[in-house]
Amino acid sequence: MRYKQLSLILFCLALLTALPATAQINIDNIQLKARVGYNIGATAPMGIPASIRGIESFKLMPDFRVGFDAMYPLSEKFGITAALYYEMKGMDSEVTTKGYHMKVTMDVDEMEGLYTGHVRQKVQQRMLTIPLQLSYRISEKVQLIGGPYLSLLLAKEFSGYAFDGYLRKDDPTGSKVVMGSQEGEWATYDFSNDMRSYQVGAMVGVNWDIYRRLGLSADLSWGLTGIHHSDFKTVEQPLYPIYGTIGIFYRIK
Amino acid sequence: MKYYYYIAILTMILTSCIKDEPQNTECDILEAWIEGDHLAQHFFQNTDMRIRDVSSGTELLTFTIRNHAALPAMPVYFKLSSGAVISPANGSEQDFSNGPVSYVVTSEDGQWHRTYQVDFREASLPSSSCDFEDFEMSSNGKYYIWYDTGDNGTIDRIWASGNEGFMIANPNAEAKDYPTVPDEHGFDGYCVRLTTRATGSWGKAFKKPIAAGNLFLGAFDSKYALTNTLKTTQMGIPYTKEPVKVTGYYKYIPGEVFTDKDSKEVPGRIDEPSIYSVLYLNHDDQGNEMMLHGDDVLTSPYIVRTAQVESLPAASEWQPFELIFKGTVPIDAALLANRGYNLALVFSSSKTGDTFEGAVGSTLYIDKVKISFQTDQTTENAQ
Repeated sequence: MRYKQLSLILFCLALLTALPATAQINIDNIQLKARVGYNIGATAPMGIPASIRGIESFKLMPDFRVGFDAMYPLSEKFGITAALYYEMKGMDSEVTTKGYHMKVTMDVDEMEGLYTGHVRQKVQQRMLTIPLQLSYRISEKVQLIGGPYLSLLLAKEFSGYAFDGYLRKDDPTGSKVVMGSQEGEWATYDFSNDMRSYQVGAMVGVNWDIYRRLGLSADLSWGLTGIHHSDFKTVEQPLYPIYGTIGIFYRIK
Repeated sequence: MKYYYYIAILTMILTSCIKDEPQNTECDILEAWIEGDHLAQHFFQNTDMRIRDVSSGTELLTFTIRNHAALPAMPVYFKLSSGAVISPANGSEQDFSNGPVSYVVTSEDGQWHRTYQVDFREASLPSSSCDFEDFEMSSNGKYYIWYDTGDNGTIDRIWASGNEGFMIANPNAEAKDYPTVPDEHGFDGYCVRLTTRATGSWGKAFKKPIAAGNLFLGAFDSKYALTNTLKTTQMGIPYTKEPVKVTGYYKYIPGEVFTDKDSKEVPGRIDEPSIYSVLYLNHDDQGNEMMLHGDDVLTSPYIVRTAQVESLPAASEWQPFELIFKGTVPIDAALLANRGYNLALVFSSSKTGDTFEGAVGSTLYIDKVKISFQTDQTTENAQ
């Protein structure tokens, strides 16, 4: 019974946005899946700027995804899906930069310049994601999916520190200010409050039935909105969440 | 194990996105030196043939020589920012007998330039009295700097302050709101006014919430402005006479609320100014050139004379002060004459401002400073 309710809720969402209200719906045709997955990816600029010179370290984070989706078949091959995921998209990396442009405002005081050195960057995001997808069955077992998604952030963090480098104030001829290599000599920052509370993007993927009701899935979700508000200019280029997910699903009905 | 494959693959993917290294945009002179043993005779010490660690804010490089009239064309070599080029050519002989020579450094990418003046100057003692009438705006027009006009009209930038550091944290501050400013209500003419200022949100973030107004003989290097401020103050200039005392006039009004480095109020504590001077050996035991900084200017084993006052009470009218140099370490007269000692003289509006304790608003006015020295007695002092 509960599955039916969930199917209904998810389906209504899909209905409202994707289907003409006049379509003839048979609720019994809805197929419901439960999913778990693991997100691997980064919050990164589209095309890494030349001022980022190297990636020193990249730590995997406990970025899991759990959720349900409901698919309504439109024909033998096509279907439409609405889903609800609870997921985490984090990042913990260290990069080296050369003349990376940054402009940081703290209250009213602004500091702008070009940074050469190391940056440790942590991103943590917990969110509810609602994808809406069109699916296409290419074989008995394999189904391709694709469509937009909307994520609502429940928790967000964007923080880090610049260390073992130097800032040239304003331009390459400006005063040189060293960032040390020990705690207390780092330039720490926290721009969690400048992050958007929603994100939209596109997701493409594949579902592969392997055994009875179990299947494997892989998808890529590509953020189309930067993780920060558009007026946030601290970093040279907007950062987008780009994550791949590998998971398993279980066909409930 | 799969975990590691993922990391390896991901790192590969990400690394493959890294673009070609952009050409360097920096165009600094990092170091300048003269080569050739036969040229050493023109200098007091071999270390005078090299200017190390040129600060990023400096565009005037001065070599100190014995005799300007006897100066041959000099080949000056430079260490530049990676990829940068200099004109006239690195190491080319130039004639400095008519004054400074301009060198233009161009960055590797060709987009950025800096013009430096390289000068060779005869050693001269700065004028022994300072009225703080000689000041001008910094080259970027943000804050005031003070200089000394010698007897023959030469300008020496022997005075430094923390104003450049204040600018980094407060780029929008007006010149009159910096910690170290000229004030027209001097004992006569202008005086220098040192005020302890709040450093704003950046200063707070780096646990450096206040900046005491300071003025000192020496140089300021912004390099450590956010990390190790005590290292920004390079205290002292070469001094070839033995100082006996420093006199002058001051006024002092302590700020109302004394705070510690966490910006917490310390009830009952009244801010104090500080004025002190030391004479120290400017080469260490290994013969390396050496400067004292904010962290060791009163404690270094290379100090030979120290002059401090016990206390400087608050005063809203001009009061005289007098610092007497004390110390028993013998002074080597020959070394003194060959610029082997530095004299540091420091004024600060908050005595413990170096550790970020003080009262915002504490104001110290200084005027008519005079350094007295042993006249023609340096030889006797060598005993």
